[in-house]
Amino acid sequence: MTSTLNRPPVENSSPGTPRTTAKAPISLKHRLSAFDHKASPYFYVAPFFILFAIVGLFPLIYTFVVSLYEWHTLKGQGDFVGLANFTAVLGDRYFWNSLFNTVSIFFLSTIPQLIAAVIIAAVLDQNLRAKTFWRMSILLPYVVTPVAVAMIFSNVFGENYGLINNILVSFGIDPIMWQNETLPSHIAIATMVNWRWTGYNALILLAAMQSVPRDIHESAALDGAGATRRFFSITLPSIRPTMIFVIITATIGGLQIFTEPRLFDPVTAGGSQRQFQTTVLYLWEMAFFRQNFGKASAIAWLLFLLIVIFGLINFLLSRSIATAEGRGAKARSQRRLLRMRQRQARDGVRAGTAASVLSETVPVPGPADSPEPSASTEEGSTR
Amino acid sequence: MTFSRRTKLTTGIAGAAAFALLATGCASQGAASSGDEKIELSITTFGTFGYDELYKEYEKANPNITIKAENIDTGGNARTDVFTKIAAGSGLSDVVAIEEGWLGQIMDVSDKFVDLNEYGAEDVKDNWVPWKYEQSIDPDGRVIGFGTDIGPQGLCYNGKLFEAAGLPSDRESVAELLGGDDASWEKYFEVGEQYKKATGKAWYDQSGFVWNAMVNQMEEGYYTKDGELNVEGNADMRAKFDQLAGAIGNGLSANQEPWVWGKGKGFVDGSFATMVCPGWMLGNVKGSLESGGGDASTGWDFADVFPGGAANWGGAFLSVPATSDHPEEAAELAKWLTDPEQQVKQSAAAGNFPSTIEAQEKLAEDATPNELFNNAPTGAILASRAEGVVAQFKGPHDSLIQENVFGPPLKNLDTGKTKSADEAWDQALQLLNDLVVNN
Repeated sequence: MTSTLNRPPVENSSPGTPRTTAKAPISLKHRLSAFDHKASPYFYVAPFFILFAIVGLFPLIYTFVVSLYEWHTLKGQGDFVGLANFTAVLGDRYFWNSLFNTVSIFFLSTIPQLIAAVIIAAVLDQNLRAKTFWRMSILLPYVVTPVAVAMIFSNVFGENYGLINNILVSFGIDPIMWQNETLPSHIAIATMVNWRWTGYNALILLAAMQSVPRDIHESAALDGAGATRRFFSITLPSIRPTMIFVIITATIGGLQIFTEPRLFDPVTAGGSQRQFQTTVLYLWEMAFFRQNFGKASAIAWLLFLLIVIFGLINFLLSRSIATAEGRGAKARSQRRLLRMRQRQARDGVRAGTAASVLSETVPVPGPADSPEPSASTEEGSTR
Repeated sequence: MTFSRRTKLTTGIAGAAAFALLATGCASQGAASSGDEKIELSITTFGTFGYDELYKEYEKANPNITIKAENIDTGGNARTDVFTKIAAGSGLSDVVAIEEGWLGQIMDVSDKFVDLNEYGAEDVKDNWVPWKYEQSIDPDGRVIGFGTDIGPQGLCYNGKLFEAAGLPSDRESVAELLGGDDASWEKYFEVGEQYKKATGKAWYDQSGFVWNAMVNQMEEGYYTKDGELNVEGNADMRAKFDQLAGAIGNGLSANQEPWVWGKGKGFVDGSFATMVCPGWMLGNVKGSLESGGGDASTGWDFADVFPGGAANWGGAFLSVPATSDHPEEAAELAKWLTDPEQQVKQSAAAGNFPSTIEAQEKLAEDATPNELFNNAPTGAILASRAEGVVAQFKGPHDSLIQENVFGPPLKNLDTGKTKSADEAWDQALQLLNDLVVNN
């Protein structure tokens, strides 16, 4: 009651006041909406960044702090030693050995894996019967835990009782020392990695291939491009961003290999002579066998830097490969265009124009394929 | 892990297990302790401890207590688990099983564990064989664990293979053959050569265990009693190493993968005829025989003899971490579990050999035949093998030296990659420098 009686006079009291009385609620609303406008996007993305800060950034920085100290796993923090842990690790032959093993296993696994994944994806991209069945079955190895994979494969690659060596011996061939020799052990581990990851990568690449517009393929086919030609000139360049993603994740995963070599010989940390001790495994040995957390953290950081470097190299490489492909194609089509024009020009000569001398003499010095002379003919003929 | 016991291929889930345990170990514990309040005690063991029935019994006798038991597959993974949690400063169970092999490292941080003297350790100290009790005392005189079992070593051998080689095969004759009370490594390797000559097959599974036994037998191992590293220039140790290298050179090692033995097939296909066997190893042999497709008819037996005299390998302790919310109840549980009466039950369930005198006497008295080992009275034999065992001081890096310093050169000798003892010894010293001295 009181409110209805009181309100009208307030509104009528003066023409100037409504502004000020109205300003208070509106400006608050305004401010709120402005705040909402400016700040809420940050709130929406905040969960990721907060989580990242807790589980990503903090451990990263803390690891670096630990790496600057003498730090015993059990006894805890010791003296500040600056970068001494890093120099010690860089002068440690087992560290370099582990790097060699990591890179070797990385090459043995990532390269064949990606090539196989691209081929499998290309095959699955065709019109197959029971598509889903094939697609699901290539993903199956990925579902199996690495532990089970390692156990199955260590049966296959066993030295005394393994499947492969049993077969070799029954044919009278010397058994391969899958665990005690460097290269065979790397191949064995790379096989486990490939078995598990090829299907996964193939599926991602397949998804990318599916999104390549079909009409491009069709028009290329109409123009007479074969399947291989279309694959290299259309499919590969179109899936470039996905390729980069796959290559980079494969690089990160490949350089962090742990489970497979750890379980390939469960008794030692990477083989009795460290023949397949990867860097992460060495890090683990450093932290939990040798109890040197400082050095282990230094190894972790060096590995981090290495992965960044490898990632960058791979990023640049995969970019330039794909663009080189594009550039090549462009150059080829240009050349074709030129040859066509030359032919037209020649036809013109036969028709008996004054330009005949110019257009006939110029192509002679260089082969028709080399771009510069043909460029000059282009100029000549257009004039 | 060569040194930590009860490791098998089927079980090497190191990192993952440790992290998973870390996560579960962080779960909050029951309310504060007082009187009849409900208390939940967590306990972490590893390998085959045989405690499941005992937990139930204890819960029945103490209705206010619930036991949350966790068992880690191998000693090596248990070590990672314990070390990770000590480093993290939280997550340890109320009662934690500690293996002798890494006790030296634990002693470095013994203040992270409760002094059991505060909970009546003194009253029960006479239960144990004296050296076992002494092992659990830290430099400040605090008792940080109650002993569960010990690992007196006897000799596992395959009677059928012995017969085939024209050697005597019954337990008494085998003990006699290897020298009885005066059994030496020299004699052991000599008989091994006879066996090798007769059959063309290897004598023992691989050299790591043999070396481990040889070192454990010495009065001082890799460290002197004062805790000084003592490998380089240790003439006694070097002589033993040469002796072992000589035996390997004669083809006595089957170069099997330790703890795996080709998924147990090595025990079945006659690859080797003998193996050094601490009490708890009988469980590993049993498991391997089963997975390799063998049984009692495979011919394995257990002899009351050991080259070089009495030797101990391994054995565990139950400790109470200082972070426990209920140290009193936890200590009570640990004390109860390691009581002679319970140790007898544990031994029946897990096959290991107790560390208390009364329990040992009981096992010797019962002399229960072990079917898998040709009905050998394994408990009684182990009791006899435990006589004269002297505890050796274990330094902080003992297990590292055993596994990572001597493991690789011995493996090289086993595979034939390294031919001479000199070269292998140099490799060991180099590794010692890299991994221990300059760590």
